[in-house]
Amino acid sequence: MTSVVLSSTSKPAAERIRTPWSEFWRKFRRQRLAVASGVFLLLLVVVALLAPWIAPYDPATPDYEHILEGPSWLHWAGTDDYGRDILSRIIHGAGISLMVGFLAVTVGGIVGIVMGLLSGFYEGWIDRIIMRICDVLLAFPGILLAIGIVAILGPGVENVIWAVAVFSIPVFARLVRGSTLALKRAVYVDAARAIGVRNIILMVRHILPGALPSVIVYFSMRFGTSILTAASLSFIGLGAQPPTPEWGAMLSAGRSFIGVADHLTFFPGLAIFVTVLAFNLLGDGLRDALDPKLSQV
Amino acid sequence: MFRYLINRLLGILPVLLLVSVLVFAFVHLLPGDPARLVAGQDATDRDIAAVRAALGLDRPLWEQYVTYVSNILHGDFGISLKTRRAVSEEIGERFFPTFWLTLISMAWATLFGLVIGVSSAVRRGRWQDHGGMLVAVSGISLPSFWLGLLLIDWFSVRLGWFPTSGYGTLAHFVLPSITLGVGVAAVMARFTRSSFIEIAREDYIRTARAKGAFERFVVWKHVLRNALIPIITMVGLQFGFLLGGSIVVETVFAWPGLGRLLVDSVSYRDYPVIQAEILLFSLEFILINLIVDVLYALVNPEIRYR
Amino acid sequence: MFNFTKLVVAGALLLSVSTPALAAKDLVVGVPDNLTGLDPHNVNDTLSQSASRLILQGLFGFDKDMKLVPVLAESYEANPDATEFTIRLRKNVKFHDGTPFNAQAVKINFERLANPENRLSRASLVNMVSQFTVVDDSTVKLTLKEPFGAMINNLAHPGAMIHSPAAIEKYGKEVNRNPVGTGPYKFVSWQADTLKVAKNENYWKQGLPKVDSVTLRSVPENGSRLAMLQAGEAQFIYPLPPEMMSVAEKSPKLDIISKPSIVTWYVAMNNMKKPFNDLRVRQALNYAVDKRAYAKIVYNGNMDPMDSVVPPGLPFYVKQGEWPYDVAKAKELLKEAGYPDGFETEIFAGNSTTSIRAMQFLQQQLAQVNVKLKVTPLEAGVAAQKIWSVSKPEDTTVQLYYGGWSASTGDTDWQLRPLLFGESFPPKMFNVAYFSNPEADAGIKAGIATADNEKRAEAYKKAQEAAWKNAPWIYLGVERLLAAKSKSLSGAYYLPDRGILLEEADLN
Repeated sequence: MTSVVLSSTSKPAAERIRTPWSEFWRKFRRQRLAVASGVFLLLLVVVALLAPWIAPYDPATPDYEHILEGPSWLHWAGTDDYGRDILSRIIHGAGISLMVGFLAVTVGGIVGIVMGLLSGFYEGWIDRIIMRICDVLLAFPGILLAIGIVAILGPGVENVIWAVAVFSIPVFARLVRGSTLALKRAVYVDAARAIGVRNIILMVRHILPGALPSVIVYFSMRFGTSILTAASLSFIGLGAQPPTPEWGAMLSAGRSFIGVADHLTFFPGLAIFVTVLAFNLLGDGLRDALDPKLSQV
Repeated sequence: MFRYLINRLLGILPVLLLVSVLVFAFVHLLPGDPARLVAGQDATDRDIAAVRAALGLDRPLWEQYVTYVSNILHGDFGISLKTRRAVSEEIGERFFPTFWLTLISMAWATLFGLVIGVSSAVRRGRWQDHGGMLVAVSGISLPSFWLGLLLIDWFSVRLGWFPTSGYGTLAHFVLPSITLGVGVAAVMARFTRSSFIEIAREDYIRTARAKGAFERFVVWKHVLRNALIPIITMVGLQFGFLLGGSIVVETVFAWPGLGRLLVDSVSYRDYPVIQAEILLFSLEFILINLIVDVLYALVNPEIRYR
Repeated sequence: MFNFTKLVVAGALLLSVSTPALAAKDLVVGVPDNLTGLDPHNVNDTLSQSASRLILQGLFGFDKDMKLVPVLAESYEANPDATEFTIRLRKNVKFHDGTPFNAQAVKINFERLANPENRLSRASLVNMVSQFTVVDDSTVKLTLKEPFGAMINNLAHPGAMIHSPAAIEKYGKEVNRNPVGTGPYKFVSWQADTLKVAKNENYWKQGLPKVDSVTLRSVPENGSRLAMLQAGEAQFIYPLPPEMMSVAEKSPKLDIISKPSIVTWYVAMNNMKKPFNDLRVRQALNYAVDKRAYAKIVYNGNMDPMDSVVPPGLPFYVKQGEWPYDVAKAKELLKEAGYPDGFETEIFAGNSTTSIRAMQFLQQQLAQVNVKLKVTPLEAGVAAQKIWSVSKPEDTTVQLYYGGWSASTGDTDWQLRPLLFGESFPPKMFNVAYFSNPEADAGIKAGIATADNEKRAEAYKKAQEAAWKNAPWIYLGVERLLAAKSKSLSGAYYLPDRGILLEEADLN
């Protein structure tokens, strides 16, 4: 089940001189949805960086005379229950939501990768312990972990990140373990071992790069999930601290106004939807462009 | 195979013991005194002390743990701090709503996911592929509480097709199982697609495709068989997740399930209920993993267990 | 695929039609939480109390305006020291199981409640009584250890309702799930999130109840609860979040119930901590918050101004005047107090949507006087630990606390003593403002030491004056409670303490 063939013999000679990077790029370019998603996400990053200059209003300044107004020329996405400009809040929130996603997945990913490498490389009791920890983490409802983390550390965006990160650990660990198990039997790893390369170097230099494509794919997908998880945390009252314009917090706070002022949920909801969708499509594109054989979870 | 199963089943106990220690430590690490939470908003310190004594929370921690574990070994999961009812009854009452919802959501989502996934894989790179994937991926890109509230607003309030919330008839299942299932369907669709594509690329399949129709049929059976393995893994994993009860969906649809019980018991620091629920989830997870492994062997006779 | 979907949809529709249509008079009520129990002696939440009020009754109770009324009692007499209460009981009342209601039943119930060995959480309602005496079949006498002027209010609390003694005998602690009382409805079933009760055909009030059954269903999500009412699956829901009023208003089939309450909302300032130990700072913050804007933004207008530390709905309330909104004055006071550039501080509250909204509003308001507020919503357990369990006042991290309070006994004592009495600091009670003022303390003490209403009024007048001018809180408002009901429902009342009364409910 885990035998992996790294090179395909049927490629014509002309293709073989391509670098892996250009090969990837050639395949990725063909995924139009993924390219569009990538461009969208880059734009989003730019918007997030330029937020203070491009947002038409201050995201925190209330205007009690103009609360819950629908979209208009003055306020493209309307105003919220304090009369704050929703568009400005979404623009400012872009950075926060992206940051939550990025840090959460990075932290969770790094811990998971280390666990997965150790587990797959050494097998035996280390493997068993790590996998049991993963089982427990998976069976342990994320919500309970999140409540624990937020309860112990206090509310706030940073702690939401920790909470979301924990959700990602076990899946990354399993993913990397799978690839490691396969790759460590590969010929080049055996060769490296034979010439006396230290274990740590083996893992980091020779095995990790092989596992990376699937990690990257999963990373991009998990990014979206993290944004959604943060929204769910807001739903149960454990989200970002007000008045932080984190999208999930905006959506959750706006849900009392469904049927009264739908724009309070529509715009943050749309922002989350499009962004998460873009991350997922990008992930799909990357998966197709990178060697699919390495992408089994 | 038989010995393997026995070994696996015996292996469950130490894991559960580990979980019981972990969860016991975890709930007691959570800030908040259950006696105070259970005693209510305007309880005086005397009321709280009475509750604490009544609940046995005034005894040393290790003693509480030992009592707890020995009670479990006698099949007694304790009394809910909040409702003073047997934990087994509390959980028993809520297990089936969650179980049926999980089953129905998984059933339609897997079917739907398989269909989209296979059709996308077959028409790879064409509009059916892109369209199918776009639909599927949309499913995991919506915050589920928002989707749930929108579904209620449209299909219950405006159109009056389905009940807004609650547990009862089959009609009550429609909206919650859609909300719960879209994510699963999306995962299944993408997974099916990629595992079909991967296997279809194997050399023996390529060769077979070049040959006649009959052989092609045989080979597709092969493809299906091999593709099924990661799909079964995924179904198992998702099933395990859902059996824990979705807190968001159960809250939005007022579903009397395990997810809501968990939120409630966490907010009351109802230790016995939290502990028993986590033990149950772990057990479910382990059993599902076991079933998945057995299914592997059934699907692919080359996999054997010793 | 699509056929399959259609099939499911069609099947579902068929099933939903084939469930019995609402029979003549089945009332469904959407409530926000799960019940915790049906033994009022041992439950602490208003919801469970309301639910048990369908089935059980007390000697006294509250009417729909929270006025104390005799229920299973007919009258009472108290001695001037408030140490002896003689209560005459209603005759010819029977419990649902046929057991007669009499003085013996009352004695059994109260002794059960007061007995510390039973560890009932409502024991404090009657544990100041040293002896319950059966004078005759319909008279019972309570002899107290010490004077307690609010005794009758305690007996009117839902926690002092009367079980059938036969049920206590038969079920023991399990009366929690098998309540038998004298109330308008008989217990049928309680499963997970649904309580069902049916009409008590032999109810002692003529012509009541009018509906055949009542179902309480817990629907935690506000939007789903309102949807349930809109779709006709429920006839009464509470609470209705203020921001959803206009949805209910738009519907021709629905009525909104808006009701002045005894729920006061305030920000407790830690009077022992800098900078709030300075009266000028506390006054400044009161000037800095626009209470009308608070009512509009946070409660969609459903908030009346607070003009005393006691809400108008409680006895002995004395109006002290409204605190005006005056930013210039606030800045001036802060300058005098040595904070010309404001200061930074933190506010705690629960993590409900409304609390979070209120804290954000306060953050915006205080920003006008350069007070930078950090907003910290706390999950229930964390709040219990950080706010209510701190054993020494100097250890607390509370600077500001946003919260609401309703005096569940319907008496002024339970407004003032837990919140503003010098001996009620957490963890003992809820004086999270750590407010201690000799005049206020004297008034609160005097008020509870007598059953003479004139003397109590005098004592509470002084206490209110002393507390108000010292501004231990930012006085925000008194909530108007909102519920929504179908137009076909009459006689269902939402009480000022967030309870519900369905005795006279009728469906047309």
